[in-house]
Amino acid sequence: MKKALKRWETVLFCILILEFVIFASANSKFLMPRVLFGSINDIIPTCIISLFVTFVMITGGIDIQAGSIVGLTSIVLGVSWQDWGLNIWAASLLAILVAALAGSISGYFVAYCGVQPMVVTLGGSFLFSGIALLVSNLSATESYKGISGFPESFVSLSKKKLFGVIPNQVIIFLALAVIAYILLHKTKYGRKIFLVGVNQNAAEYSGINSRLVILSTYVLSSISASIAGIVLTSYLGTAKSDIGATLTMPIITAVVLGGTLSTGGKGSALGTSLAAVVIGMLRFGLPLCFKVSQQYLDIPVGLILLIVVIGRSIANNPKVVAKFAKGRM
Amino acid sequence: MGQFKKLLKSHEVSSFLFLVALILLVGCVNPSFLQPTSILNCFNDSVVFTLLAGGIAFVILTGEIDVSIGATLGISAAVGATLLRDGSNWMIAVLTALSIGAVVGLVNGLGVAVLNIPSLIFTLGVNGVVRGMIYVYTKGAWVENLPPAYTKLSNQPLVGQLTIFYGITLAGVIILHFVLTKTKKGKYFIAVGDNAAGANLVGIPAVQTKILAYVICGVFAAAAGMIYTSRIGFITPTAGNSYEMKAIAACVLGGISLSGGQGSLIGASIGAVIMSSISRILVFLGFSSDYDNTITGVLLITIVVINTVTQNKAILKNRHQILAARTAVKTGETERKGGLQQ
Amino acid sequence: MKEVLDNMADKASSGNNMLLSVRGVHKAFGLNEVLKGIDLDVGEGEVLALIGGNGAGKSTLMKIIMGIYQPDRGELSIAGETMSSLKPSAALARGIYMVPQEPMLFPNMTVEENVLIGFKEKTAVLKKKLVQIMDDIGWHLDLTRKAMSLSIAEQQLVELLRGLLRESRVLILDEPTSALTFDEVESLFKIVKDLQAKGIGIVYITHRLAEVFEIATDVAIMRDGIVTLKGKVVDFTREMLVKGLLPPNMEEMEEKEKEEETVLDYSKLQPVFELQDFSGYGFEDVNLKIYPGEILGVAGVVGAGRTELATTIFGRDRVLRGKAVLGGKDVTGMSTAQVLKEGINYVPEDRRLNGLFGISDVAANTTSSLLGDEKMGRVFLNKKAEEEVTQKYVDDFRTKVTGQDQIAGSLSGGNQQKIVIGRALSTNPRLVILDEPTRGIDAAARGDVYSIIHKLKSQGVAVMLISSDMEEIVELSDRAVVVFQGRIRGEFKKEEISQASLMAASFGVSE
Repeated sequence: MKKALKRWETVLFCILILEFVIFASANSKFLMPRVLFGSINDIIPTCIISLFVTFVMITGGIDIQAGSIVGLTSIVLGVSWQDWGLNIWAASLLAILVAALAGSISGYFVAYCGVQPMVVTLGGSFLFSGIALLVSNLSATESYKGISGFPESFVSLSKKKLFGVIPNQVIIFLALAVIAYILLHKTKYGRKIFLVGVNQNAAEYSGINSRLVILSTYVLSSISASIAGIVLTSYLGTAKSDIGATLTMPIITAVVLGGTLSTGGKGSALGTSLAAVVIGMLRFGLPLCFKVSQQYLDIPVGLILLIVVIGRSIANNPKVVAKFAKGRM
Repeated sequence: MGQFKKLLKSHEVSSFLFLVALILLVGCVNPSFLQPTSILNCFNDSVVFTLLAGGIAFVILTGEIDVSIGATLGISAAVGATLLRDGSNWMIAVLTALSIGAVVGLVNGLGVAVLNIPSLIFTLGVNGVVRGMIYVYTKGAWVENLPPAYTKLSNQPLVGQLTIFYGITLAGVIILHFVLTKTKKGKYFIAVGDNAAGANLVGIPAVQTKILAYVICGVFAAAAGMIYTSRIGFITPTAGNSYEMKAIAACVLGGISLSGGQGSLIGASIGAVIMSSISRILVFLGFSSDYDNTITGVLLITIVVINTVTQNKAILKNRHQILAARTAVKTGETERKGGLQQ
Repeated sequence: MKEVLDNMADKASSGNNMLLSVRGVHKAFGLNEVLKGIDLDVGEGEVLALIGGNGAGKSTLMKIIMGIYQPDRGELSIAGETMSSLKPSAALARGIYMVPQEPMLFPNMTVEENVLIGFKEKTAVLKKKLVQIMDDIGWHLDLTRKAMSLSIAEQQLVELLRGLLRESRVLILDEPTSALTFDEVESLFKIVKDLQAKGIGIVYITHRLAEVFEIATDVAIMRDGIVTLKGKVVDFTREMLVKGLLPPNMEEMEEKEKEEETVLDYSKLQPVFELQDFSGYGFEDVNLKIYPGEILGVAGVVGAGRTELATTIFGRDRVLRGKAVLGGKDVTGMSTAQVLKEGINYVPEDRRLNGLFGISDVAANTTSSLLGDEKMGRVFLNKKAEEEVTQKYVDDFRTKVTGQDQIAGSLSGGNQQKIVIGRALSTNPRLVILDEPTRGIDAAARGDVYSIIHKLKSQGVAVMLISSDMEEIVELSDRAVVVFQGRIRGEFKKEEISQASLMAASFGVSE
């Protein structure tokens, strides 16, 4: 397993290098740290969340509610700071706790009631985006405007740069990537996540509390979504209830592209990180270097996803190709 | 009496009763809701979601999923609307749109049924590509200035205040419902989702059935796109964004199980009415329509959790009964209820 | 109203007298040869009882007849027509139908839909025929009920109706009585006799010898991929059948066994594990004692309730009554994690479903039971400990792996089994329950597993050996019990254990 994964991660790494070479040769501005890191804000939420959605998918589940948790976090943070007078960091903590609660509700239904993860988190995405909207109505500020005017210390979370070059968000992402890596690949907990995903029965026969493990992954992915929400709020300087609405598809794409098996049991933090960056660079480089319109970018991303899954399917089952050739299905 | 109980147990009937109860409840709070106009409007306005939910119901019944229907709606609407704007015959516009839907569905079907790729992942990729192609096709611009004759169609009544679009859709849904539940080939869809291995044993072509389900789903999404065009009067590149989630939710509300093999088209269309009426109902109840998503989420989760828990309990009970029967053989005693009548 | 069955009879009597002939059929899965040249015939109005232990190759043979598997060699003729290759649809079209042991119904469809699906004829015509058939056989089912609400017997009836509606000429019944109550068995026999009178050929697979004499006209016994005995039922006695189920060199082997015998001195031993009136789903009132250093054989056929007994002890299902005591401590109804900690471990019967982490590596597989133990680290995974534990079992068991990072699913069956056994021993249990530990593994690996079991015994570990392989029980056990229909049917001391005695009790024959 490790060998195969390593190989896939190598492929991703090569694609990333290739992207850099092509984009840099097309437009030298691409490599300027200011430009390169300036692009990071658009992709950082996807990168952060996909790291922990990987956990969910390794257990064989799926999480399509993370995007709505981003909005929920943002608005809870904004309202509790502006209207309830909480300290901005206390407000952030509250937002994280709310997200963890949301994740544990969905996780409970998946793990302990046996409801399909897709349906639960679909319901969750409605529920939590709905709650976010209701929370925004609690504010004196009208919801479409968003809550702004955050203190300098909070805004600087995303404005400060290490050595004047690397933005804080990148540091946060790298830190979370390291945490995800350690959790998943170095701890007993991470091993349990894999085992539950490979064979939940066998995990139960090994005395692993598979339900608790599954539940915990939904809590983690929700917490990561709330961290992404805080970072995004800080960068935008505005708290809104719908800022995560479009994130679901990019997150799942990154996780699958990162080598996570959608049936569970296989995946890696490094693979997901690389895939998220590969997608991010594509979305950044194509418009910058080839004047591809921002709106067209779903096509290359979608194509990459399709090519990867089709390629894997054919590699795993050469018979399918033979059947195709014969023209009978 | 037994028949009646059985009827109550079927999901589409309980969904329908839920809808009636909902209407009556709102009527109690605000009697003006009980006017035929406002009730009929609940149905008329659900037409786009009824088509989307009806189409995806085919896919879900076979045990798969399709998250590309929002984009399919968007691209067929964009192409159809452009043709109409440029003076094409409406027949050509509609047929072109429907064939686009069929092609997208075919691609999905081949990927899922032949290549055996998990349907969520594959249709997610297709969704991205199709969504991007809308921008390529429209160059990011709105498609406007459609012929008034076409946009007026959406208000055209068929009978009384029932619009022609909803009338046709409803008729189509009812016909297909009977095709699915009463005809031999129609039952294949449910059979494949219900027990794929068993379907193979009795000679049902599972692969072809799944491909057909996706094609139907694509065509329905395209039809929804053309009606959407008529109702809205212009097409933006984001048309149909995240409609797939609402269509799936409508199916679940209408009693369709996402694990396949369970549910009906009528159920899906009732779910679509509930789904698209929630905001209207909220207004009549004096609430802000901001509660829309929250209510949808709560409904969705409550329904599936109850369904799953009761079903899992039944499965466990059944297993225990089987095991108990083994030990009971010796004495000839039986704990079973409702055994064979001799 | 016997028209339909009469039609079937007409169809059956047209053409050759032999409805189904199997000639020299061979089938291997990889290196494992499951069928080694099978010859069988089913004629008109014959009820062929096919008996054999687990792994004898019965179900493989049936799958070949149904066209689900293709034979490597040999041929199949149906009503005189030789089939070169058979697909399920072709087998169905030629009038062969199997009622599987686990019915394959569509749970969300009604009984009527379940029976009628897949037919080309008009529904109204079929329905009329179906009602006729039910009238004929005198069993009535509410056609509008959903299949998921049916009992297992009713589900089998639905499968049977499918076969009858197809006007099948050969019906295969795979252990049809295994989940039926007494009355239902009686009705089933009535149907079988009725069908037989109509000239339909029936293959009746069973584990119960008593049924052979009650229902069958012919009998065939399979063992290790060959037919060891066949003929008219009237020519045989129970004893002869039991003998046919046993390996030919049995006496020789039992001789050999006696030489190595070391009898435990029970007077000095305290039981390490005890079951008192232990009842659960699938077994009832089980009383057992197991002593340290003892190998207790638990014989019986599949479905007798042995696996349910073991998994319930292991915390996988609810205990209904009674007590389980380990070393004086009540462990009744504990969770699997707790039971593991107390000192019981279990090697599951179905390796692929419950034992192996197929796409994980050897190390992760070996240590999965230890994740609750501090030995493997508190928070972080102690890779060194993992490596040591894994290496210990790889070395001890002579498991053939390319390295600890080899994917477990890519190992041979025997090596997979050694990994799963290694896991069960990694927690240093006082009681190990081995459920069919040598099923589907080759002879060399079997020898290795036996020596592992002997070593456990010498270390004073109590071993509960569940096996359908009587030879295995005879060879290894210090004491044996036989489970029949969820109850203990007999207890045998070392000197009383023989394949004949175990086999007779397992198949429900009273001595």
